[in-house]
Amino acid sequence: MRKFSYWRYLTVAITLGLIGASILVQIVRIQNSPEVAGVIGQGAYIWKTFYPARGEIYDRNGNLLAGNKTVYEIGVDLTALPNAKDASLKMENDIALAAQSALGMDPADALSRMTTAPAGAQYITLEDYVAPDQADQLMTLQKNDQANPSGPNLDAVHFTAHLMRSYPENDLASTIIGYVTRDNHGYMGVEEKYDNILAGIPVTKLVPADPRQAVDYPQIEPGQTLILTIDREIQASVEKILDDALVSTGAASGTIIVMDPKTGEILAMSSTPRMNLNDYTQVSQIFPGETPFNRAISEAYEPGSVAKIFTMASALDNGTIKPGTIFLDTGTIVVGGVPIHDWDNGAWGYQDMTGCLANSLNVCLAWVSTKMGNNAFYSYMQRFGLGQLTGIDLAGEVPGRQKLPGDGDWTPVDLGTNAFGQGVAITPIQMVMAASALANNGQMVYPHVLLAEVRDGHQSDMATHIVGNPISADTAHIITNMLHDSLLKESSTALLGGYSIAGKTGTAQIPTSTGYDPVNINASFIGWGPIDNPRFLVYVWLEKPQSNKAASVVAAPIFKQVIEKLVVLMGIPPDVAVAQTTGQ
Amino acid sequence: MENVTQIVQHVRQAHWRVQRQWIGLFLLGLVAVSMVAGIYLNITVRATLAGREIQLLQNQLIDDQRSNSDQETLLAGLTSVASMQQRAEAKGFKPVDPGTITYVVVPGYVPQTSVDMSQPEADNQGQSQAPVLLPAYTESLFDWITRTLVASASTGGQQ
Repeated sequence: MRKFSYWRYLTVAITLGLIGASILVQIVRIQNSPEVAGVIGQGAYIWKTFYPARGEIYDRNGNLLAGNKTVYEIGVDLTALPNAKDASLKMENDIALAAQSALGMDPADALSRMTTAPAGAQYITLEDYVAPDQADQLMTLQKNDQANPSGPNLDAVHFTAHLMRSYPENDLASTIIGYVTRDNHGYMGVEEKYDNILAGIPVTKLVPADPRQAVDYPQIEPGQTLILTIDREIQASVEKILDDALVSTGAASGTIIVMDPKTGEILAMSSTPRMNLNDYTQVSQIFPGETPFNRAISEAYEPGSVAKIFTMASALDNGTIKPGTIFLDTGTIVVGGVPIHDWDNGAWGYQDMTGCLANSLNVCLAWVSTKMGNNAFYSYMQRFGLGQLTGIDLAGEVPGRQKLPGDGDWTPVDLGTNAFGQGVAITPIQMVMAASALANNGQMVYPHVLLAEVRDGHQSDMATHIVGNPISADTAHIITNMLHDSLLKESSTALLGGYSIAGKTGTAQIPTSTGYDPVNINASFIGWGPIDNPRFLVYVWLEKPQSNKAASVVAAPIFKQVIEKLVVLMGIPPDVAVAQTTGQ
Repeated sequence: MENVTQIVQHVRQAHWRVQRQWIGLFLLGLVAVSMVAGIYLNITVRATLAGREIQLLQNQLIDDQRSNSDQETLLAGLTSVASMQQRAEAKGFKPVDPGTITYVVVPGYVPQTSVDMSQPEADNQGQSQAPVLLPAYTESLFDWITRTLVASASTGGQQ
């Protein structure tokens, strides 16, 4: 009995022991098997680059201006091709024909990519940035073929979805936004200026294939969301007005800027030409040669008479003149030995300073600048930032040039001509920034298009930045009233009934290498309002208008069209309504 | 001396009894090892399943984020200025004449001048406090035993 029990126990022990030992042996064998080690070595960790979604761009009211959409990279997993040459070639042919059918690819090209892949290559890309509907076609073909074993074999086709930039408004505000190429780099405008924070930081990391290590997956921060100061409704209106103006005036190009003169927020900025940002490959056709992408910041030109407002403001601030100062315009003034004439070669007789502005008298303004003298005049021009970068947060700004005494090409007559905007090259954005001092109690604001940044659910608003006080508040009020009066005096076509507006036209000759162009002019208008509480500052510039050679005829009405839209879109009541509510 | 030898022989266990004890001890050890291996396998499988689920959820998250981007861009296209203007014109709307607008003063009303995209504070807190992954899904059996012992010791110390 005892002997029987012993053998029974021993048999059980040996059996269980053998089972346990075989399990242990198997575990050790598998762990140390070269075959498994190879699989683990290849698959345990994979180098993978994670591209964060590019940050979105919104207008000031939360309308999407630049977003992202899904596209596909379609490739072939070469390791999934059969080993047998004939079978492999058949599958490659199947894939090439499917790529032709679904993607419109040249089958010979597709086949060549697969057959000429470098030795050891495991994957080749057939096509990237494929639209979802095209990718769907190929996926459907793949599924159908899987259901039919005797049919074509597309098992090796691999789909990788990723995001690409998309602009739902197409060409709206295109010169402000800029564009993004397939390598995820921003060019021009906001896309270039804020490329670093929009793009986020791609992370390349060894990613564990082992699910137990899944927690080690990197958490990729998406690019930062930007909110622009642009109001898309105002932008759309301004663009339409500008496009219509080019047709009606025959101008070669145009620029309109709308800015809040108290904050420097750009509400709209448009120039021609513009492009559909979803098709950036057209950029070289739309902007051939030296054509600037955004004339508002990238094209310096002689502004002409609109610059008179700075000369007059400087002289008033400096105490050289007063609004009632009388000047006898004989039609000519000699500065630096060179005679200067009025725009009509006429003599306008006795004029006060408002009359000088209203009639845009070159002789009067040249007299004012010479009375100020070189030091005072150029000091003020420097303080207004003319010929200097404004620092606006858009890529591609140029400084222009304000010649100064002492520069090799400065001559004494420049003091006279600079006073009415000749012999100086400035950009429209400089003009707007400088004029903000006149509209905003002498405080010159930094023009910008970024309203706020959004990161991790927190919005950081940009603060208003005062870049200088070139003139006093009193001077700003005086010049504003003078410009308001001068518009009334000349019954300007820029005026909008019910609203008090200050402004100035500019009809400027265009310098060429052989002197001034005898035919073409630049027509511009700068204005702001309502003058008691300015809400907008608008600059209009038409290059080489053909319908008429006077800014008061071609540019001033454009200004009026813009502010007609602005008072509605910004909800600005007429002066009478404001006076009633404030009891004035 | 002979007496002593007789006593030892008398109390020595039978040969089969000693062997049975050794076999029993071996089986006991085998059962213990099997239990540990079973627990280890159980924990490992659960950790692996959880990890796999995380991977799937991460992929799902990426897909959802992409889908959100698609939907947002699509919606923006459908409500773009051009299409809204087209729809407004089709419905017979016309641009307003500034002179025909009546302004009404609403005491205390301050119009919003720009959008606020901040998330409510509660959402932010919720996000920051959300547990990423419980340690039970990632730690080894040894880690778990150590953590449990340390936790027990610290709890006991506090009591």
